[in-house]
Amino acid sequence: MKYDFLDTEVLARLGAIPLESRSSMIGNVAGRHRSPHRGSSVEFAEYRKYVPGDDTRRLDWKAYARSDRYYIKEFEADTNLRAYFVIDSSGSMNFSSADHPSKIDFARRIAATLSYLIVNQGDSVGLSCCNEKIHLEIPPSRRPAQLQAIFESLQDLRPEGETGLIPALHQIAEKTQQRALIIILSDLFLDTEELGSALQHLRFRKHDVALFHLLDPQEIDFHFQRPHRFIDLEDGSTIVAEPQLITEEYHLALREFLENVEKKCHDIHADYHLLQTSADYEEIISHFITSRLTKKR
Amino acid sequence: MSFLSQPILWGLFAAAIPVIIHLLNRRRFRTVKWAATSFLLRASRQSRGKKKLRHFLILACRTLAIAALIFAVARPLIGGFLGARSGSINTAILILDRSASMETKAASGQPSRRQNALTQISEAIKKAGSPRLLLIDSASGKLHEVPDPQALSELSLTSATDTEADIPDLLIKAVDYLDEAAPGQAEIWLASDLQRNDWKPSDPRWGAIRAGLEALPSQANLRILTSADEDVENLTLQLLSSRRIGDKMLLDLKLTRRKGTGDLAVPLTFSFKGARSSERITIHGQELQFQKHIPLSPKDTQGYGWVSLPPDNNPRDNSIYFAFGDQKPLKTCLVTEDPSSASSTYLHKAATAAGLQSAACEVLTPTQGSQIDWANASLIIWHAPLPAGTIASQLTRFVNSGGSALFLPPSETGHQAIFSSSWGDLHTPPQGQFFITGNWIKDEGPWQNGQNNSPMPLGQIRAIQRRSISGTGSSLAEWDDGSPLLYRQLEGQGSAVFMSTLPDERWSNLEFTALHLVAIQRLLEKGSDRLHADYRAIAGRKKAHTQGDEVRERLDHLEPFDPALESYRSGVYRLGERTLAVNRPPGESQAERIDRSTLEQLLKDSPYTLFENENTQTRLIAEAWRAFLIAVLLFLLAEALLCLQPKATGPPLRARKASPQPSSTP
Repeated sequence: MKYDFLDTEVLARLGAIPLESRSSMIGNVAGRHRSPHRGSSVEFAEYRKYVPGDDTRRLDWKAYARSDRYYIKEFEADTNLRAYFVIDSSGSMNFSSADHPSKIDFARRIAATLSYLIVNQGDSVGLSCCNEKIHLEIPPSRRPAQLQAIFESLQDLRPEGETGLIPALHQIAEKTQQRALIIILSDLFLDTEELGSALQHLRFRKHDVALFHLLDPQEIDFHFQRPHRFIDLEDGSTIVAEPQLITEEYHLALREFLENVEKKCHDIHADYHLLQTSADYEEIISHFITSRLTKKR
Repeated sequence: MSFLSQPILWGLFAAAIPVIIHLLNRRRFRTVKWAATSFLLRASRQSRGKKKLRHFLILACRTLAIAALIFAVARPLIGGFLGARSGSINTAILILDRSASMETKAASGQPSRRQNALTQISEAIKKAGSPRLLLIDSASGKLHEVPDPQALSELSLTSATDTEADIPDLLIKAVDYLDEAAPGQAEIWLASDLQRNDWKPSDPRWGAIRAGLEALPSQANLRILTSADEDVENLTLQLLSSRRIGDKMLLDLKLTRRKGTGDLAVPLTFSFKGARSSERITIHGQELQFQKHIPLSPKDTQGYGWVSLPPDNNPRDNSIYFAFGDQKPLKTCLVTEDPSSASSTYLHKAATAAGLQSAACEVLTPTQGSQIDWANASLIIWHAPLPAGTIASQLTRFVNSGGSALFLPPSETGHQAIFSSSWGDLHTPPQGQFFITGNWIKDEGPWQNGQNNSPMPLGQIRAIQRRSISGTGSSLAEWDDGSPLLYRQLEGQGSAVFMSTLPDERWSNLEFTALHLVAIQRLLEKGSDRLHADYRAIAGRKKAHTQGDEVRERLDHLEPFDPALESYRSGVYRLGERTLAVNRPPGESQAERIDRSTLEQLLKDSPYTLFENENTQTRLIAEAWRAFLIAVLLFLLAEALLCLQPKATGPPLRARKASPQPSSTP
């Protein structure tokens, strides 16, 4: 395979597990995902009184025999999943330490693998990349050719500039009319209050939100021995600091930030995953998929 | 504090290494591209106060650890004696007090103050880098170079003596040497017990000493090593006077006790003509003055002996020596205006009383003053207007040499004064009344209590005339109105006594009470003491040294004979034709010391330090490198503790790494 971020063995192993949406989806084709509409699946939903105009074929005659009343037997409708990847391609995503992959590489692997799995199970997938603004947008599609477009886009993705994830999320929330699974991949170096507001907006539009929070191990440990000049990857500003003096405060600030992000996600029932780029992405995807199976509502 | 390896202290610059490394590290930063700069900014803003303080403390601990290590390697010396020395010295002048009081020990078996000082100074010299050592000992008063300071305590120049020390004189010699020789960085070390008698705080030479110390080219430190004023048990026997009177030898002895006030029976050993006898004397309180009579036969034209106490904490003040020769007549010279007067007759009779064998009294008028036998007289009774001119000068010299003078009221007052005293007006009591005695001193003077401690009957004195006395002396007896009856002016080794009334029925009933007789006989005895002085000497004084071709021979065998020390030690010696009983100077029996404030006054503005060694085993200086090594360890330990990160400051490890964790919500 010509894409570095795809591993056929991983795809083969993960292909057996279906990706589920935790909320009902509205799709235009039948699928394996629950729909808010009543349909013709085998799963019973409810009884309701017959009203003129209803299809008489759906009358439950057995109920009529027992109660002498006309009841319509309704079944759950199954539809397809519409997944939408939002990748933060700001400069900060380009950070990597030691021999770990950069955050953008890690995001590529997760997005590509999940896209493959989603399309492979007959669902739609789309992609949106943003830095200061959304610079790449691939509408969701369930066609196999969609994967080619997504992979090509991921391959060509170059992180730069400052992050514009918040307006991008608001924009996506507005633009995406139908319910969708919004999968966000970012380091979230932005204002947590605004992030909470954007996630709330997505949730308001009844989207299922999953958030992969990507951090490099060095960003978490902050293990430096001697004074360093830190150059900001987004705006190029510099800070000269003595790590020995500020490590404790750095850890405190980071801990507070992570707690805030997690709390915002929890408030809107978003699926939050804090990841280090040193982790095994197969395990992460596997855990993501299986956890959704158990939490399906 | 001083250092044995002072050049190593240059290594203290190494203490700046942590600071230099810190500064270099600050300058030599690495550049790294970073994403989470918002946290860096926030952390940098919050990293103030405690953090920086801790960082500086860590830096200080590292710096101090290196400094303490350098100090330890430089072998620091601490101690009050050399501890505050700045820089090394190349010459030390040791002034050693070898007086008898320096032989006092803290306890039996302990070294004496002198031995202790010598041991400690030998050690101090070694640790001070063995500078050139010059010794001025108090006995010889001369400056000697000591080639081997470690053998200091074995030199005869540092041995025990019975002499006294003249500390001002020794200090002047040291200052003069430093002024003349200018040996460079030098110090004066003075080992003494601060005995007042040796230090002579009222001596005018102290001003010159202070000026000399300040004027030295290189300010020489004066370091005084003394022992603490231990309250040790010690008995001191002192010979106040010894004289032959007729067929007996009279010894006036004084026993002093340093500690305790209760009754103490002291066995005294007397040795005379090779025979020894013992007698127990009970001392009550701290001082006992008593008289010992040793009977002599007419054949005893010459003799000697000694009296000693049992050994105690100062063996050098336990014995006294005496010697005597041919008996000399007790001669009195009565100078009177009217040799035929009743008072002159009574006075003549008193001076030649039956109890005084071979006593003679020569009666002269004031105009015959040139005929007075000053050389052989013991007592001058002056019953005439006070003398002036040559006679007054001769009389003064006579009293200074130990003779006694008794002045009685003249008929006319006159304007002369002698011994800072003069006669005043004549007084008579109101009609039908008498002058009667008031208080008098009972333990000394011509009217002191008798041998059985019974007081003199001064209450019987009735006077109808008296002449007032004015002067700077002290009253030994007073009339009931406080004016002096018997007045004394001490002058040199003798005394001048004024009596304000006469043994004459027109003046008083003294001839009836015979109290004038008592006074005259006691003054005569006292004055005769100087005639026996040919047989007495003070240890260390010129008289105790051999003169010309004299050969010294020790007659008593109380101590082994040491030719190098005998000029400075008590004993009975034959020096050529002379027989001498050499005793300690009287001042050495006085334990009084000068206190710190007095010392401060004596050496005011002079660079001196006083090291008082409270424990006789205490070393003057000690190497303190162990303390500095401990300090190094403590600083490193403190640095390690400060470098430890608190547990709560670890990174937030909740992010997923390699294994699945339930880190997702909801």
